[in-house]
Amino acid sequence: MSDHRIELTVNGRKHGGTVEARTSLGEFLREQLGYTGTHLACEHGVCGACTVSVDGAVARSCLMLAVQADGSEVTTVEGLAEADGTLHPVQQAMRDNFGLQCGFCTPGIVITLASLTGEGKEPTEQEMIDAMSGHICRCTGYQGIRRAIRQLTSETA
Amino acid sequence: MNVQLPGAHRYIGERTPRKEDARLLTGRGQFADDVRLAGMLHIAFARSPVARGTITAIDSAAAREVPGVHAIYTQADFSGVALNVMNFFFGPCEAPVTILADGRVSCVGDPVAMVIADSRAIAEDAAALIEIEIDEEDPVITLADARGGAPVHPGKDDNIAQEMGDEDIDEDLQALLDGAAHTITRTIHHQRIAQSPMETRGCVATCDGSEEMTIWISCQSPHLVARYVSLAFNLPETAIRVIAKDVGGGFGLKNFPWREEVAVIAAARLFGRPIKWIEDRFESLTASSHAREQEVTLTIGFDADGKMVGGFGDYSSNNGAFPMGEDCNVAVHMFMWPAYKMPAYGFVSRGWYSNTMGLGGYRGPWAMESLIRETLLDDAAREIGIDPIEIRRKNLIYLTDQPNTTTFGIEVTDITPGECFDKLLANFDVPAFRKEQAESREQGRYLGLGLAAYVEPTAAAGQMAPMTGELATIRIEPTGKVTASLSTHSQGHGTATTMAQVIAERLGVNFEDVTIFEGDSAIGGFSPGAAGSRQAVIAGGAAWTATDMLADKVKEIAAHLYNANAETITIEGGMVHIEGTPEMSHSLREIAEIAYGEPARLPGNTGAGLEAQFRYQPPPFTFTSAAHACVVEVDADTGFVKIQRWISSEDCGTVINPGVVEGQIAGGLAQAIGQVLLEDMPYDARGNPLAATFKDYLMPTISDVPDFEYVHANTPSQTIGGMRGVGEGGAIIGPPTLVNAIADALQPFGQIDLLELPLTPSRILDIVESRDVSGDAAKRAKTEAEAPAEEATAEVASSSGETSIDGAWNMTMKTPAGPQEMVGHFATDGGNVTGKFTSDQGDQEFEGTVEGSRVKFNLDVEQPMKITLKYDLLFEGDGVSGKAKMGMFGSAKTSGTRA
Amino acid sequence: MKPAPFDYVAPTSIDEALSALADAGGGATILAGGQTLMPLLNLRMSQPFIIIDINRIAELKGVTRASGGTRVGPVTRQADALADATLAQHVPVMVEALSHVGHYQTRNRGTVGGSVSLGEPAAEMPATAVALGATIEIRSSKGTRQVPADEFYLGPYMTVLEPDELVTGIIYPDWADGHVTLFREVAQRPGDFALVGMVGALELSGGTVSRSGIAWLGMGPTPIKARQAEAALLGKSLDAIDPLAIAELAVADTAPFDDHHASSEYRRTVGRRIFTRTLREALGLKEAA
Repeated sequence: MSDHRIELTVNGRKHGGTVEARTSLGEFLREQLGYTGTHLACEHGVCGACTVSVDGAVARSCLMLAVQADGSEVTTVEGLAEADGTLHPVQQAMRDNFGLQCGFCTPGIVITLASLTGEGKEPTEQEMIDAMSGHICRCTGYQGIRRAIRQLTSETA
Repeated sequence: MNVQLPGAHRYIGERTPRKEDARLLTGRGQFADDVRLAGMLHIAFARSPVARGTITAIDSAAAREVPGVHAIYTQADFSGVALNVMNFFFGPCEAPVTILADGRVSCVGDPVAMVIADSRAIAEDAAALIEIEIDEEDPVITLADARGGAPVHPGKDDNIAQEMGDEDIDEDLQALLDGAAHTITRTIHHQRIAQSPMETRGCVATCDGSEEMTIWISCQSPHLVARYVSLAFNLPETAIRVIAKDVGGGFGLKNFPWREEVAVIAAARLFGRPIKWIEDRFESLTASSHAREQEVTLTIGFDADGKMVGGFGDYSSNNGAFPMGEDCNVAVHMFMWPAYKMPAYGFVSRGWYSNTMGLGGYRGPWAMESLIRETLLDDAAREIGIDPIEIRRKNLIYLTDQPNTTTFGIEVTDITPGECFDKLLANFDVPAFRKEQAESREQGRYLGLGLAAYVEPTAAAGQMAPMTGELATIRIEPTGKVTASLSTHSQGHGTATTMAQVIAERLGVNFEDVTIFEGDSAIGGFSPGAAGSRQAVIAGGAAWTATDMLADKVKEIAAHLYNANAETITIEGGMVHIEGTPEMSHSLREIAEIAYGEPARLPGNTGAGLEAQFRYQPPPFTFTSAAHACVVEVDADTGFVKIQRWISSEDCGTVINPGVVEGQIAGGLAQAIGQVLLEDMPYDARGNPLAATFKDYLMPTISDVPDFEYVHANTPSQTIGGMRGVGEGGAIIGPPTLVNAIADALQPFGQIDLLELPLTPSRILDIVESRDVSGDAAKRAKTEAEAPAEEATAEVASSSGETSIDGAWNMTMKTPAGPQEMVGHFATDGGNVTGKFTSDQGDQEFEGTVEGSRVKFNLDVEQPMKITLKYDLLFEGDGVSGKAKMGMFGSAKTSGTRA
Repeated sequence: MKPAPFDYVAPTSIDEALSALADAGGGATILAGGQTLMPLLNLRMSQPFIIIDINRIAELKGVTRASGGTRVGPVTRQADALADATLAQHVPVMVEALSHVGHYQTRNRGTVGGSVSLGEPAAEMPATAVALGATIEIRSSKGTRQVPADEFYLGPYMTVLEPDELVTGIIYPDWADGHVTLFREVAQRPGDFALVGMVGALELSGGTVSRSGIAWLGMGPTPIKARQAEAALLGKSLDAIDPLAIAELAVADTAPFDDHHASSEYRRTVGRRIFTRTLREALGLKEAA
C-alpha cells in the first residue's frame, strides 16, 4: 500500500497532506482537511451527496482517489458563500424555496447547481433537472429544489 | 384558540425561511460522522454471509495481526455486560436479542464480530480476515416459508412473532357478509423497503470516567436514546448525555438504538476509548432494519346501494429474525376505519419470524390500511357499477356524522375526510378529465385518475410509555433576546423554525430574535422526538402556552414598573407598549435587565428572571384528514408510468409554516412513489439481499416526482394552537392514490387482481398483455406447489371421549404481550363449572358451563386493560386446548396439561 | 466501505503504463475515469495489488480522424466526447448514446475507453462499439493488436483483454454521410443501466439498405449483435421492410436474463417493440394497418 504526498487548493486555500493510495478524495477532504460539509452517503457514486468541483468540473468525490486530485483546485460546499456570509445564489434559492430538509444530500446538490449557474452560463430548467438526476434526496420529494431551479433560471434569463 | 393578537406580527401561517438552512447549506451542519474526539477509534463489523446456522468457530487470529487493530470482540466478550435490548416501548423483545450473534446466525448480515481499529479502512481490512465457520441450515425467507417452516428461534413452537385477532370470522359478522349484496375480496403483497435515510446510522460513544457517558448518534430523539441506554445498560440516566444536532433523515429507522449502536456504546465502555461507527451504505441497505414486507387480504360486504356492511382483514408481516420489537401491526386494523362508516369489522394479524433482516419502523407503519381499503373501494365501485367518487361519498365520515366511534372504540369528533374529499373534487375537474381520458384512449394513450381519502392518527400521547407530552422552556435573556430549550428533534422537520414562529408570534418579538436549542438530551425534557407525527402538535402547544405564560409575566412586571394596568400592555417587535402612551414604550431588554439584575424592583410575588416552562399533555390522538388525486399516463408498450398531476387536499389544522407542512407531505409522497414504482429489497432463496447498492435499490429521482399541488383546509384541532400532525400522511395516502390511478389507466386491458408491489414495468405489462410477462404467476404456482402443509390449527370441537375436567391444570395463554403462565383449577357440577386461575397476577375466579368436555366461561380482567376474556376450552385426556376471545383484540390461544 | 489496500502509480506515457502492467504480473487494474471501478474497489469486489492510473497519459486522450474512421482515445472524458464536433459529425449515434451514460457528474470523470473496456452488457458504449463495427486497439509490452468490438466481449465484465494489455484506442469506422442512426433505450430512471436498449446505423443507397449494424444492450451477457436482423435488412428496399419481422429476428439473437427490475420476457417483449418503433421512425415507414 503506497502513500503519496499531495498538494491541492481547496476553496482557494492551499493544502497538503500524505494520503494512502486507497483514500478517496471525499474521505481526504473530510478526515484530513476537515471539510466535513462534503458528505459520503453511498460511496458508490449514485447518491451525489459527495459531489465537489475539481478543476471546474463537478465530480463524485467518492469515485476519485485523493492522490488523483494532486495539483487540482477543489471547491466544496464550504467554498460557495461569500466571506461575509452572503449565500451563493444557489444556496439562497434553496433556502427561499424550502429546497432542503435534513440537509445531508444538500452539499452535493448545491455544488452541481452552482456549476451550472456560473458567470456567462444560462442553463435551461431542463438542463438543471437533467443534472439533478444525479442526486438523491430522501426528504423533500424535490419540490423545493425544482422551485429553486426555476428561481435560478428566471434569474439568469 | 388561534386568536390573532392585535397589531402583532404574524408568523404562524407564514412561509418563513428555515433557521437550520444557514448552516446546512454551507456545510456547517454537525452530523454523527462530523464528530471527532481525541483518541477516537473506529469500528467495522464482521457479519454473517449465510442466513441461518450454528457458528462452529470464529478465528480472529489473522485479523488481530493487522497493524492498527486494537481489539476484536465477539458476543463472548460481552457476556459480563448485563444488557437488555428492548423494543420501542421499553418492553422486552420476544426473541431475546444479543448485540452480536450468540452461537447462531439468523440472517445474512447478522453481526458476528466487531473490530476496533485506528481507522474504518483498517477495521474493514481486519473484519475481512475474520473466519467465521457456520454449520449452515436451510433458511426460512418469505412469509410463505415462515408459515410452515422450521422455527427461526430454537425453542419456539412456530414462527409467529406476534398474533392478534381471530382467523375465525365472528358469526354475526359472517351473517352480515353473507347477507351483503356485493362482497369484494382483494389481496396485496407489499415488498420489503429499505428506509434509506441519506445519512446512514452512526454513533460515537465516549465514557468520561465511570460515571459519565456522552453519545453522538444519528437518531430521532436524544432523550429517548438516553432513556433507552439508561435502561438497557442499567445506568443512571443523569450520567448519559446524548447529542444529535443534525440528523440526515430517520423515517422510523432511527426511532431507538438497535444492535450495532448498542454494541458501539458497549464497546466504548469495555475498551475505554471513544469509539465511532458509521454505517456504510452496503450495511445500511442490507443490515439496517427493513420495513413493510407484508401481505393483506381484505373482504368487504356492501349493500345494494354501495354502503359498507362489514369487513374482515387478514394481515401478515415479515418480522425478520430480530425485529425492533415483534409486531403484528394491529394498527393496520385500528386505523382502517376512523375515516369511514364501517359498522362491523373483524381481523387476524400476525407477525412472522424469518431468516431475514429484522423489521423496523418506517413512515406510516400501518399505511397498509389505506392501501388495501382505497384500492378495494375502487374495485368495488367498478363491480357494483358506481363511480369511485360516489362509493366514497356514501361511506366517508363527514363532520355531520360525528361524534362517531369505530369498532375499535376510537372516537372521532372533528375529522374532515369527507370535506377534504369534496374540496379536492372542487379543485379537480373530473368530468373534463374523463373526457380527455376517453379521447386519449382512442389514440392509444392510457390516462388514469386515482382518488383516495384517509385520516392519519397523529400526536399520540399518554397511552404508550415513550409517547409522552413535550416540554418547552422559554427565556427572555438579559439581552432581551429569546431562547427556548425544547424536547423537539429535527431530522429535517424544521422544528427550530416552526417553534420559533410560534414563540415570536405569541410573544410579540422578531423571528430573528428567537433561538431554539434542541437535539441534546441535556436540553429540554423527555419526548420521543420525531415519532408519530407529533412535534408541531405537542411541542407547538407547549411552546404556545409557555410563551403565553412568559408574556403574562412581562406584562405583570411592566404594569408594576410603569404604573399601568396589565390589560393595556402589549408586546410587539420586542417592545413593550402601554396603550395610549406611545412615549412609554420600553424594550424587552430593559425589562429583562431589571428582572435579572434588579429583582427588588419586581412586583411582590414575581420571581427573578424572565423564564417560563410548560409541558403539554395533549389528547390521546389528534387526527389529520386528507384526500388526494393523481393522474398518470401508462405507456402500454413499455409498462412505464408517468405521473402527470398530483393534488393534495389536507386538513392539518393550524398550519405553522406551509413550506414545512408541504415539505412533509411531498417527502411522504415521494417515498410513496418509490414504494409503488421503484423500491424493492428482495431476497433470494438462500436469504441473500439482492439490492445491496443504490444501483439496485431504486429511489425516486427528480424526474420521478411531479410538482405537487396543495389545498389546505385548516380546521383547528382541540389541542393548544389547533395544530394536527402531518409527518407521515404522504407515505400513507400516496400508495393507494397512485395505484388507483394506474389501475384506472389499465381498465381497457383488465383488472389488477393481486397487487404485487412494486408495480414494475414487467408487472404492468402483465395486465396490458393479459399474460405472465413478469413471471410472477409462474413463481406463485411454484411456491404453492412447494409449500409445506400448514400445521393444522387446533380446532375447538366437542369431543365424545370421557375426560375428567376437575382438578388443576398448568396452562399457557399466548397473549400479544407474551405467553401468560397460570394454573387453572376446575370443578364441574353437571352442566356448570366453577374455578379459578392462579398466576403471578393473583387469583381470578370464574363460573361457566360444561358441555361434554367443552368448557366455556367469561373472565373480567383489569390489567393490562379492562376487558372480558371469553374462554372456550376443550379437555382431552391429559391435555387442554382452546382460546380466549379478547374483545376487539381477537383471540389468544390457550393450552395446557394436567398438573 | 473502504477499498482494500493497494499501490498506485500514475504513468505519463503508454510505454510506462505497459511496463507497469507487465511488472504487476496480473495484479494490476487500470484506472481510467473510475466511475465503475471505484465502486467495485469500495465494495471490495475488486482487490488489485496495484492501480495504474492512466489519467495522466496525454496520448490516450482526444478524438482524431484516422483513415476511414474516427479514433477516440480511451481516456477521453464522456462529457468531452459528448461535446466533440468530430464525433457529432462522424459518429452521431455514439453521441446520442453518450447522453444516456451515467449522469452529468459522472460523465465529467467517466471515459469512453473505460466504459468500452469494462463490458457492462447493459451499458451504451460497448453496444455502440459493437453495432458500428468499431475496432479496439490493444497494446501490451509485447505488441499491438486490433480486435473487432464484436469479438471483444466474452461475458458480463469479461473481455479478451489479457492482464498485461491496455486499450489504447477505439476506432469507429466511417458510415456514409447522412446514414440513418438508431438508438432507443428503456431505463427506469435517467442514468440507470437500460432494462433493454438498441443502437445501430444503416446506410441507404438508391432506396435500399446497403450497410447495417445493430446491437442490443441489456439483452444478454454481452452486447448482442443483431446479426439476423442486419442480414435481413441488407439489400432490402424501404417499402419491402417489415419492421416487426426484422425485430423478431433481432430478438431471436438475444439471451436476456431475469432480475428484480425486469423479467427476460419483458426484455424480449419491449425489445421487439422498441426495435420495431425505432426502425419505423428512423426509416420513415408507415405503421402497419
